[in-house]
Amino acid sequence: MDLSVPPDITFVVLTAITLVAAIMALQAKELIYGAISLAVSFIGIAGFFVSLDAPYLAMLQIAVYVGAVVVLILFTIMLVSREEVDKDLTGETGESAAGLWLAGLLAVSIAGIAALAGPNLPSTAPVGNLPISQLGPVLAGSYPVPLLILALLLSGALLGALVLAKVDR
Amino acid sequence: MPTLVSYIIVSAALLGVGIYGLSVKRNAIRILFAVELIVNAANLNFVAFARYMNPPTVSGQVIVFYSIAAAAMEAAVGLALILVAFRLNSTIDLRKLNKLKG
Amino acid sequence: MVNLPTTPAGILPFIVAIVTSHTFITLVIFPGFIHLMVVVMFLTWYERKLLARIQLRIGPLYAGGPGGILQPIADGVKLIFKEVMIPYTADKPLFLGIPLALVFLGALPFAVIPFGQHWVIANLDVGLVFVFAVTSLFPSMVLIFAWASNSKYPFLGGLRSLFQQVAYEIPMWVSALSVVMLAESFNLVQIVSAQQKIWFIGPAFISFAVFFIASMAELERLPFDLPEAEPELVAGWFTESSGALFMVIFLALYMKLYLMSSLITVLFLGGWWGPAFLPQPVWFILKALIVATFIIIPRGVYARLRVDLLIKVGWTRLLIVALANVFITVVLLRTGILSPWGL
Repeated sequence: MDLSVPPDITFVVLTAITLVAAIMALQAKELIYGAISLAVSFIGIAGFFVSLDAPYLAMLQIAVYVGAVVVLILFTIMLVSREEVDKDLTGETGESAAGLWLAGLLAVSIAGIAALAGPNLPSTAPVGNLPISQLGPVLAGSYPVPLLILALLLSGALLGALVLAKVDR
Repeated sequence: MPTLVSYIIVSAALLGVGIYGLSVKRNAIRILFAVELIVNAANLNFVAFARYMNPPTVSGQVIVFYSIAAAAMEAAVGLALILVAFRLNSTIDLRKLNKLKG
Repeated sequence: MVNLPTTPAGILPFIVAIVTSHTFITLVIFPGFIHLMVVVMFLTWYERKLLARIQLRIGPLYAGGPGGILQPIADGVKLIFKEVMIPYTADKPLFLGIPLALVFLGALPFAVIPFGQHWVIANLDVGLVFVFAVTSLFPSMVLIFAWASNSKYPFLGGLRSLFQQVAYEIPMWVSALSVVMLAESFNLVQIVSAQQKIWFIGPAFISFAVFFIASMAELERLPFDLPEAEPELVAGWFTESSGALFMVIFLALYMKLYLMSSLITVLFLGGWWGPAFLPQPVWFILKALIVATFIIIPRGVYARLRVDLLIKVGWTRLLIVALANVFITVVLLRTGILSPWGL
């Protein structure tokens, strides 16, 4: 990384928000606070999408993840009994250390490979824009099969979730 | 404008947080949080690469489009499973839900 | 960017330069903060007067000026001086923070709504999707607030409100899709510019009907009122809020009303187009207030719908009408009967 150029303030703030919210989502005492931090982390990722010239995707991320998935999660947390979700122990003392080592090694190795390959990767964004009007033709023109399969999967998932959560009286 | 490497490092850090949650936490809902974080890290990676290719391509965004839909679906089904598991066993602690009966 | 003043004598021209800059005027005065507050307060008075006349009463009469026009200010002062009672077992940070977040999210989409050809704070290319994304955050805030109140009636009201709002969001945005197809853009300024010859209520009147009904359900207005049904659930999800908290939530609800009326004006009623004897923003506000009137009137006229019938109608009948409308619009556009940008 070129250390003579000052880091972009938006990027630093977004990284801080996303990572801190992600860690708090896992570590918060109450599950509801964890769900809200997860929502903040998703909004941080949407901010990253905006900075990467993908505004439509950012709005879609907020609408789908924060507007639907987080609502589902909150809903489930409220339906699962209270005393259960408060007892979030991580077990024996050696375990969280092992998890930290595992996650740390994985993240550092991926980041290390990327940083070592740094000089070969583009360092400034190439000129060119990604207008939204291009998104539709590529979706339906170049990738029509995943679109249809996704539609079938969605209906299947919807039916499956309904059948699973049904209460037999 | 941050370099592509910065975006990969952020994505790897999110992946690390997600893997930590996946391997250490006992609560099934926290594990779902971790899975969603991992999927988001991958999405960020896709969009970053799509932007930094020369010329920038929109296919990365299309893949993320599908990925968001698929992850939302998977969260819904996962939550329904957690609900059913809770109804049958009165617990969502994954250390206790490790028997195949019931 | 700007030359900061270096001498004390330079401070006054600096302040004048900032206050008269376009950014400051759009952000703070119009269509920004001050205009929003004024119109929202006007809407509270307007609703009470309108409902009173429908119900053969008079409404606010004494609070200063003709016809009680200062009633909203009197309400505000009263609510500020009331005690804010927080339930003992309620979740304090969420309880106090969510109303602020609601007001913030209610005011945020106004940044992309164009009140005139150059009166928009942020001309986003994805304006309509931005409004969609922000309004999809409301149901989750309502649910969290209802949960944080830690009490039965608010929680039930919050769940019902969540179901209702989520059920009616989808027909709303699927019907807005026909407008996007007619204008060929998500950009709200472009959508309004495309209505120069004919307003989109003409070619897309089914979408207008669906959008109107769905937005009444989003705003929890009668006849979709069960989450805050006064005789049954006291006040629904905001039962436990009192004093200044209630004022903040009240403000958020009326901001949402103004937002939906402005959105209907932008999408279907031609935004700021009108004969040139009035400036463009005045036409916009006039049309938005007319739409708000039509949203308020059913409150004094219709009976309340039962919540499970409500949700069933939202997910089945309305969604089918909206999808059929998208299909019809596509067919009409392809066969050339309707051309993009209206007729």
